[in-house]
Formats: sequence, structure tokens, C-alpha cells
Amino acid sequence: MPHQCVRCNNFYEDGSQEILKGCPCGAKLFFYIKKQQLDKSTKEFITNFTDEEKQQIEHDIKEILHVKEELDNPVVLDLESIRVLQPGKYELDLVHLFKKDPLIIKLDEGKYMIDLPQAFKKEEKK
Amino acid sequence: MVKSLLRSILQKLTANPFSRKSHVKLGLYGPPNGGKSTLANRICTDWLGEEMSSVSHIAHETREIVIKEQVTIKNKRGKELTFSLVDTPGIATKIDYEEFLRKGLNKVEAKKRAKEATKGVIDSIKWLDNMDSVVVVLDATIDPYSQVNITIIGNLQARNIPVIIAANKVDLRKANTDLINAAFPQYPVIGISAKYGKNVEDFYEQIFKVVK
Repeated sequence: MPHQCVRCNNFYEDGSQEILKGCPCGAKLFFYIKKQQLDKSTKEFITNFTDEEKQQIEHDIKEILHVKEELDNPVVLDLESIRVLQPGKYELDLVHLFKKDPLIIKLDEGKYMIDLPQAFKKEEKK
Repeated sequence: MVKSLLRSILQKLTANPFSRKSHVKLGLYGPPNGGKSTLANRICTDWLGEEMSSVSHIAHETREIVIKEQVTIKNKRGKELTFSLVDTPGIATKIDYEEFLRKGLNKVEAKKRAKEATKGVIDSIKWLDNMDSVVVVLDATIDPYSQVNITIIGNLQARNIPVIIAANKVDLRKANTDLINAAFPQYPVIGISAKYGKNVEDFYEQIFKVVK
């Protein structure tokens, strides 16, 4: 499964050096992307946000998940329970949130998994 | 002999006067603007003589967990019950800063509030496992059959956490406690007005029955 850098949008495969050490762009926050989402439309994910919005989202997510601002280790966001439609607009999947515990799981090799799952989708057009 | 006597004196001297405090945690849960903080303030004002949380007509006023330790209530028979009261941020499925803009906040404040409210929802859910009993505070003027209410109550039931449902705002004409009763017949429903103190005696009695 690929991971997408929150800041520069580059994709990295599971276990790649970038995920373990951080993206060359300097960011250490990645979105975990499920295959079916990737098949649908990868570009929908975060490419439609402006740089300013992306920065804001990265900052906000860190704060929401109690991740410290300067990351020592990369963090992978598996967003299934929170959808960030744009900065300041959030959708929460309560059933998922109630089920999942804890929200941040520390994996080996200084890698963290945040099990706030699925979908960093663009706001659906009505 | 002397040694043990000295030890016991020493123990008494160094004993923490708060060590007997109750560890029972009573959580106030529910959707935003149901009146959790108003009820927290009612309980604290009635029994401690001071307020606990700030309240507002704008949703998501409480965005962090607030705890009041050592709240002791007394019933008509003179029985006492001590617990820590935990006021939690409202649980919602959608948080949109534009809702706060409409209430008069500026864009920066509104987005900040939305972010903090989202964090608050996650924190409330995370804290649920620490609760010994929960009061679900619902606005009795609103249809109780919502995804938020059903999810909260369903999860409390699954975790075997004792529950009281406070059907709040019965001072308003639109309030319908019977509807809440019909929606969640498995739990005691007490119609109250946290703001005006209406029927809170019955609510306190119910706490004695439910909090173990």
C-alpha cells in the first residue's frame, strides 16, 4: 500500500526509507492510502488543496492527534474515522472511533501508526 | 514494639489527607449543546458552591475534558456519595467552522474552534473507558433518534457502563421526555432543567441508584 506525503504529495511504498526516515521534502507525516481509494482517484486526496491549506491541515492534524509539532519519527495517518474536508471542516465516523483504541499505536523502528482511518477526501459535490 | 509504634506514627504523619478520595468517575456525555456543562455547574453549585465549566449558546464550548474531584452529594436519608465529575466535549459527526461563523466568530476563531472541537470528540471517546458511570445529557427539545445518541448509548451498553439519561431543558415547551424514554427504554430517563434546577433532586436520587 502506498503512503502519500502530506506536504509534497509524493507516494512511497510500504517500508520505504522515506516512510521510515521522513520525506526528502522534510515532512514526516504521511497518509496511508488504501488500494481502492488509490484506484478511484489518487488526485482527489490532497492535491486540490493550496500549499497554505496543506500546511494548515498538517498542523491541525498533529494537534488533534496530540502529535508534537516537530516529529522525531515519521507518522502515518490511516484516516478512516476523520475526514478533513478542508481546514476547519471535519467529518467524524463515530462508529469507527468508538471501536478503535488506542488512536496512536507505536510500531517498531520508531514508526507510529495512527489508527484514525480512511479518507482524506475532497468534499463531495451535492 | 517501639519501632512499630514509631512507624505507625510516622505513617499517620505522612499520610496524604486526600488519600481517601473517591476514584469513582461520573462522566457527562452527549452531543454538543445538550447542557452537559450547565448540568456540571448545577451539580457543583449545589454541592460545592462553585461553578465548574463555562457555558455558551455556541456549540462546542467545552473542547477539553474538565474534571472536578471530590464531589460529595447527599440524599434525603443522609447517605453520602463521592465521585469525580468529568465534563466532556460534545460528540458530533460533523464539525464545520461555517456554523461558528454564523454565530459571530471570525474565520480564524471559527477554524480554531472546529479543530479543537474535533480533538475534543476524540478525547471524549478515549476517556470513555475511564468512566465508572455516565450521565448522557440530551436536549429534550430535539429528536433523540440521532446517530450520535445511538452510537454513544450503544457503546456504553456494550461496555457495561451504568447510564442515566438526563433529558435536559424541560423548562422549554418543546421538550419531550417521553420520546427519549421511548428511544432508550433500557436506561432511566430523568427530565430536568439544569439551568433552573428543575427536578434535580430526582436526578441526584438516581445517581445514588446507578453509581456504584
